[in-house]
Amino acid sequence: MNFIERFAASWREYRKPGYYDRFDYAWTMTIDLDRCTGCSACVTACQAENNVPIVGEEEIAKGRKIQWIRIERYWEGEFPDAKLKFIPMLCQHCDAAPCETVCPVSATYHNQDGLNVQVYNRCIGTRSCAVYCPYEVRYFNYYDHHWDPPLEQQLNPDVSVREKGVMEKCTFCIQRIRQAKDQAKDDGRRRVKDGEVQPACVQTCPSEALVFGDRQDPDSKVSKQMNDPRAYRVLEDLNTSPSVVYLKKVDADAD
Amino acid sequence: MSRVDRRQFLKLVGAGGVGAGAGFMLAESIKHPVEHLIPYAVPPEEYSPGIATWYNSVCGMCAAGCGITVRTREGRAKKIEGNPLHPVNQGRLCALGQAGLQVLYNPDRVTTPLVQTGERASDAFESATWEEGLSLVAERIRAARDNGGGVYFLSRGVRGHLAELIELFMSELGSEHLLNHDFAHPHSLYAASERLFGERDLPYYDIHNARYVISFGADYLNNWLSPVHHSLGFGHSRQGGEQPRGRFVQIEQKMSLSGAAADEWIPAQPGTEGVLALGIAHRLLAAGVYAGEDAADWRRALAAYSTNRVADQTGVPSDTITRLADEFARASPALAIGGGAAAEHTNGVDALVAVNALNYLVGNIGEAGGVVFNPPPVSGAATRRQANYQTMRDLIADARSGAIAVLIVNDTNPVFSLPRSSGFRNALSAIPTIVSLSSFMDDTTVMADVVLPSHTYLESWGDDVPEPGVGFSISAVSQPVVSPLYSTRGTGDIVLGLAAKLGLGRALPWADTKMFLRDRWRAIYERGATDAADFDTFWREVLRSGVWGENVRRDHQLTVDRSVIETIDVPPAEFAGSPDDYPFILHPFLSTTMHDGRGANLPWMQELPEPMTSVVYGSWIEMNPTTAADLGLADGDLVQVASEHGSVEVPLIVFPAIMPDVVAMPIGQGHEYLGRYARHRGANPIQILAPRLQRGSGALATAATRVSVVATGRRAPAVRTGGESRQLGRGIVRSTGDDDAGTAGHSVNLRGIPIVVKQA
Amino acid sequence: MQTDGHKLGFADVNNDVVRSLVVTGRNYYITLGTAIFVMLACFFFPWFYQLFYGIGAAGMNQPTVWGTYLASFIFWIGLSHSGTLLSCVLHITNSEWRKAMYRSAEAMTLFSLMVAAMMVMVHVGRPWFIHWAAPYPNQMEMWPNFRSPLLFDVMAITTYLTGSLIFIYMGSIPDFAAVRDRTTGWRHHLYVLLSLGWRGSDTEWHRLGWAYTFLAVLIIPLAVSVHSIVSWDFAMSIVPGLHQTIFAPYFVVGAIYSGTAGIVTVMYFLRKYMKFEQYITTLHFDNLGRLLLVLSLLWSYINILELFTGWYSGTSTEYEQLKYKLTGYYAPLYWEMILFCAIAPLLLISKRFRTSFVPMLILSIAINIGMYTERFLIISTTLSRQYLPESWRLYVPSLVELSIIVGSVAMFVTLFLLFVKIFPSVSIYEVKETMPTPKAEKGDLEWQATP
Ligand SMILES: Nc1nc2c(c(=O)[nH]1)N[C@H]1C(S)=C(S)[C@@H](COP(=O)(O)OP(=O)(O)OC[C@H]3O[C@@H](n4cnc5c(=O)[nH]c(N)nc54)[C@H](O)[C@@H]3O)O[C@H]1N2
Ligand SMILES: Nc1nc2c(c(=O)[nH]1)N[C@H]1C(S)=C(S)[C@@H](COP(=O)(O)OP(=O)(O)OC[C@H]3O[C@@H](n4cnc5c(=O)[nH]c(N)nc54)[C@H](O)[C@@H]3O)O[C@H]1N2
Ligand code: SF4
Ligand code: SF4
Ligand code: SF4
Ligand code: SF4
Ligand code: SF4
Repeated sequence: MNFIERFAASWREYRKPGYYDRFDYAWTMTIDLDRCTGCSACVTACQAENNVPIVGEEEIAKGRKIQWIRIERYWEGEFPDAKLKFIPMLCQHCDAAPCETVCPVSATYHNQDGLNVQVYNRCIGTRSCAVYCPYEVRYFNYYDHHWDPPLEQQLNPDVSVREKGVMEKCTFCIQRIRQAKDQAKDDGRRRVKDGEVQPACVQTCPSEALVFGDRQDPDSKVSKQMNDPRAYRVLEDLNTSPSVVYLKKVDADAD
Repeated sequence: MSRVDRRQFLKLVGAGGVGAGAGFMLAESIKHPVEHLIPYAVPPEEYSPGIATWYNSVCGMCAAGCGITVRTREGRAKKIEGNPLHPVNQGRLCALGQAGLQVLYNPDRVTTPLVQTGERASDAFESATWEEGLSLVAERIRAARDNGGGVYFLSRGVRGHLAELIELFMSELGSEHLLNHDFAHPHSLYAASERLFGERDLPYYDIHNARYVISFGADYLNNWLSPVHHSLGFGHSRQGGEQPRGRFVQIEQKMSLSGAAADEWIPAQPGTEGVLALGIAHRLLAAGVYAGEDAADWRRALAAYSTNRVADQTGVPSDTITRLADEFARASPALAIGGGAAAEHTNGVDALVAVNALNYLVGNIGEAGGVVFNPPPVSGAATRRQANYQTMRDLIADARSGAIAVLIVNDTNPVFSLPRSSGFRNALSAIPTIVSLSSFMDDTTVMADVVLPSHTYLESWGDDVPEPGVGFSISAVSQPVVSPLYSTRGTGDIVLGLAAKLGLGRALPWADTKMFLRDRWRAIYERGATDAADFDTFWREVLRSGVWGENVRRDHQLTVDRSVIETIDVPPAEFAGSPDDYPFILHPFLSTTMHDGRGANLPWMQELPEPMTSVVYGSWIEMNPTTAADLGLADGDLVQVASEHGSVEVPLIVFPAIMPDVVAMPIGQGHEYLGRYARHRGANPIQILAPRLQRGSGALATAATRVSVVATGRRAPAVRTGGESRQLGRGIVRSTGDDDAGTAGHSVNLRGIPIVVKQA
Repeated sequence: MQTDGHKLGFADVNNDVVRSLVVTGRNYYITLGTAIFVMLACFFFPWFYQLFYGIGAAGMNQPTVWGTYLASFIFWIGLSHSGTLLSCVLHITNSEWRKAMYRSAEAMTLFSLMVAAMMVMVHVGRPWFIHWAAPYPNQMEMWPNFRSPLLFDVMAITTYLTGSLIFIYMGSIPDFAAVRDRTTGWRHHLYVLLSLGWRGSDTEWHRLGWAYTFLAVLIIPLAVSVHSIVSWDFAMSIVPGLHQTIFAPYFVVGAIYSGTAGIVTVMYFLRKYMKFEQYITTLHFDNLGRLLLVLSLLWSYINILELFTGWYSGTSTEYEQLKYKLTGYYAPLYWEMILFCAIAPLLLISKRFRTSFVPMLILSIAINIGMYTERFLIISTTLSRQYLPESWRLYVPSLVELSIIVGSVAMFVTLFLLFVKIFPSVSIYEVKETMPTPKAEKGDLEWQATP
């Protein structure tokens, strides 16, 4: 009985919202849709930073693009009142990530910073995680990808390239997080400062629509933005508890 | 480093660029030769394996001149980011800027000097040494001079001291024929500024502080003038803080990226954007918003632009016009900008004059949130050598008449960016010697007899005065971030090399571009605007921060001359082709990914979905859904788009936000050369443009061609990444106006991440 | 038990069955050769090609990361039901008619499970690391993820496979002994080993009977759980159209349905080509036909439920799913499935139909084609249209995939052909149990020692 009680208690605890908040960091991204212009600089920045392969026209035609962050576009209304709304879509680093439970080999798991981590070396390529992810942000390597020389000289040495048969996705630029933590340690600081970690997409966003930080820190920019009345999460009712929080586009002409 | 204004910028630069994260290195140090395999028992000072070194430089991907900082590891460039100190882009970059590394590491670069061995355009070249290449070209130039033949230099828009160097070279050669050619050069905006304000300069539009922006066709967030700077301003104006949220209105025939971002998108009949601007101006005057001394003159000049008449012409309802005018008058500051198709009709200059008149009438000239004219540049007087279509025609005529003996083409591709009807390509065959300084085998370079390949911008020395700048004086230095990959040379070094061979060493005595730059920057140092103890310290500081600025602003005692006011008018735009045979007006546009074609050889850009349509790797034509239905055309049909001057075949995309009688095609694909990623892909709409000119600028009116669109009976859907483009009520992209009361309550406290089941 | 075998003597049974093992005609070799060739050409060759180049050889894409490989997996798992499951149920309920057919039905279970396991290998991106899904102590100090329905799957299927193997083996021991005593040479040695020294003593019979029934009881819930768990691979996701409580019974019913149809197909061929006309009779087809009819009605009911919940949910995601299934790109396949699995089986109402061999064969194949379609549709219609409409994308299987489907059938046939030469495919002793005990006659003594 004792064991069952303990199990139930820890399960309840584990499933409690904000479970991961207790650890050192809870990395969070906010995306202000009222700022985002759809310019797609974030997409290319991510490709460049994370050794995301070029798959080629035929592969894209087959629906096998790889873009850890992509811009989704949704039309509303008809001419002349047509509106086009963009939304950057990347791994939401869900605290209750459906992709994690399904992976038979724990190749994708939650780390203590609240990141949904993908261990390429462990992945056996069942692709179940991609089915379970409601945000469609997991990309599978259908082939070994190739960089026409000397394009491979650009590859980021801090990020591994992925072989055929493994899943990949946005890591919140974990290499930059690690670097910032190392820096903090070298500087004798206990914590990384707000704004010190800038994932590639956040770094480049020309309209500053993307903000990255630690929601543990009540003074961080993301914490403040999460308290904005415009804050929402995509597919909120699925209860995946994403770490990516969107700020609604302002409809200036709404009543 | 989110907000860099002038004061803060100067402070930061003064402090030596602390916080830029940019490791400083002496220029020499990055030039370790790659030829020798030396184990790094004693590694170079700034080269620690595993530790990144950052170099500040200038983005060379478009004319905006953003500052970059390049992360290198073990001597290789890994990532380009924005230089946080550079006031234009403040650390940010656009997609094209991000893709710059694929210019450097492009597999299709020209790696050595080449000499043509076969026919023109046969793409048969043999490598040569620099000595051979330079001697050959020098010899041809010398022969031309001896025989009275002309030496012409046709370049991309070069700025900064490199422009001066080329200028010097040409004047030493005694040739007047130095021209810059860029497809996307805003000729009409220069002309309009000059006509209205007497300023032969690009104005700086302060979107950052504006609370209301009407854009007449300018895709300012995408590729108009300085998109990154505009985007920064846009983001700030929208959600930047205390002031009320800025409102953005876009008037255009086909929705652009900026149109999608706007709060209001208003289609106006093609070529009537200027009329609409004057309609708004008319209303401003009628409402007594403008109270200047010359108000009566304005009123007289605009008498014909009554709201109702303008509504008739533009197709914009009169109450919308009145409302826009009222909002424009009320918002403070309000800003009007114009570009894109509005500037590319035959009346483009008139339209931009009209748009800028709006700024004048609400008194925002020289004000925060308004139109600011830049002070004279710190360095390298900007040369005004841009060739308009008229000038290019003269060049073509000169070529045909045999007046051109040697044509040096520097990194510009007129075979691609001039309409076929211009005859440019054919005229090239009449030129005995063509020399290309391009880094790539592009459509023009393949016509060359000698190719002296330039470094890419990431391997070269140079400096830049960004245009339109930021309202105060800045200049940026671009330095090599890696040692050259191949046997290429900086454009400046090539010019200096030629000068040496031609015996012009006395006038151009510098060993290389860097020495020349140092020389010129010494003059800046000596102006005394810095506390640096000596020039070397100053130079190091400039290299470290990548940008230098001085506390110089213009005073803005701008008035509009009465005689100018009297002439303000927007005549009807003319279109080539009869509406019966060619029912559609073709709107060729610069796309996010391809820009004017320079994105085509970069796999990242080919693979980046064009934001509005999600198309990758190809061309397409956009058509209004109703029109397409009337013609029995469906998305994915291959159609033939024909003008009086030729035709292309592209897939159709049914596009919800384009006027019924307009069709739009992206520029940038359809290269015959330019490497494996660009070749034989899509179609080039420039080729079928009619040679209509803009009144008052002599530039090609690229939006003045009528076309027909006919089904070919085949299907060839454009490759797209996007699926269904409607949300189906799923609340994915939400707006504050959305009816989602059921969830609104939960979003206020996300820190607790409540487990909620949304009640439908 | 009223088989047509009343004219058969015990000796005939032994002879017939042993003959089927020992006497091998040319046709057998030709069939086996063809099956092996097709298996190599259509399964292993494309698979190796895919291993070399990557899963890109298949047609799967971004939203539809699962495809026919997984559909085949469910199909084969489904086919594996009925075999052992049916045999157990019928054993416990003392259904005499089971006895002539259960051995081959159980073999079907075994081989479909094996083919299904191969489909997993074909499906995953890096099959050379598939062992990581098994819990074993290793230098990485890593366990598999026990929260994953895929891991439940691994467990359930392994257990079912083990259970089925023991069950079929245990039931065959007396027959191995019978064959042992009638063969010579290597066969004799083989069956000496396989029969585990069976002597036919009362104690042995008693223990066998007890253990056999015990296993039968154990395997029933196991079989039900296997396909429930397979369904959880899907139902535990939150993909609209997959995330449904009905999925477990839906899969179980579907599995038994297709498995039963599979038995009919196999029975037909056994009867025809192994000369078992006297053992497998209209009675079997009649009974299997009734079972199929009931299952088809159950299956149709669940399909209607599925449509109803989709409609009743009122959410865009479920509703779009439903609309897409009925009218979208894959709709022709949907209606084909309805025709084959819901409408055509209504013919089984007629006893004449049930007792006609060829029509039953055609129907059984049609049902399995329909059931394959069902599995394909479960994956393709749902995954291609999930929550974010921008990511919707069609999935069309590639040639490699189609070839592997064909090859997997050949693999099944190959295994089955090998089986009929090793296992007595009709249970000798149980068939005899259904026959009147013969009086000892001259010359019959030899087999009286063995039952
Ligand atoms: N330039 C250079 N090359 C070298 C060497 C060198 O000194 N310099 N050394 C050589 C030697 S001795 C060795 S051992 C090899 C090592 O070569 P690699 O094994 O390639 O070495 P790393 O770069 O240390 O790590 C690989 C990747 O793992 C990522 N990584 C770190 N932690 C995790 C994690 O928890 N999960 C996942 N999925 N990824 C993680 C890192 O970000 C990095 O991208 O390199 C050899 N090559
Ligand atoms: N922080 C951190 N520490 C690590 C690792 C890590 O990834 N990160 N990786 C670990 C691993 S996998 C390894 S293998 C070790 C490697 O650790 P070390 O063996 O210390 O490796 P290095 O620093 O690459 O090289 C040692 C020295 O050899 C010199 N050297 C180079 N060429 C020659 C030569 O021809 N002759 C002589 N005499 N000297 C030469 C180099 O200049 C350098 O000073 O580090 C381990 N430690
Ligand atoms: S870079 Fe920023 S503005 Fe551009 S698409 Fe990405 S999030 Fe939106
Ligand atoms: S967004 Fe998808 S991949 Fe990312 S954590 Fe959530 S479920 Fe997993
Ligand atoms: S594809 Fe890889 S990460 Fe995803 S579930 Fe399978 S093994 Fe795990
Ligand atoms: S956080 Fe990093 S990995 Fe994720 S989308 Fe942005 S750039 Fe890519
Ligand atoms: S706007 Fe132009 S200069 Fe700036 S980053 Fe983009 S391409 Fe480079």
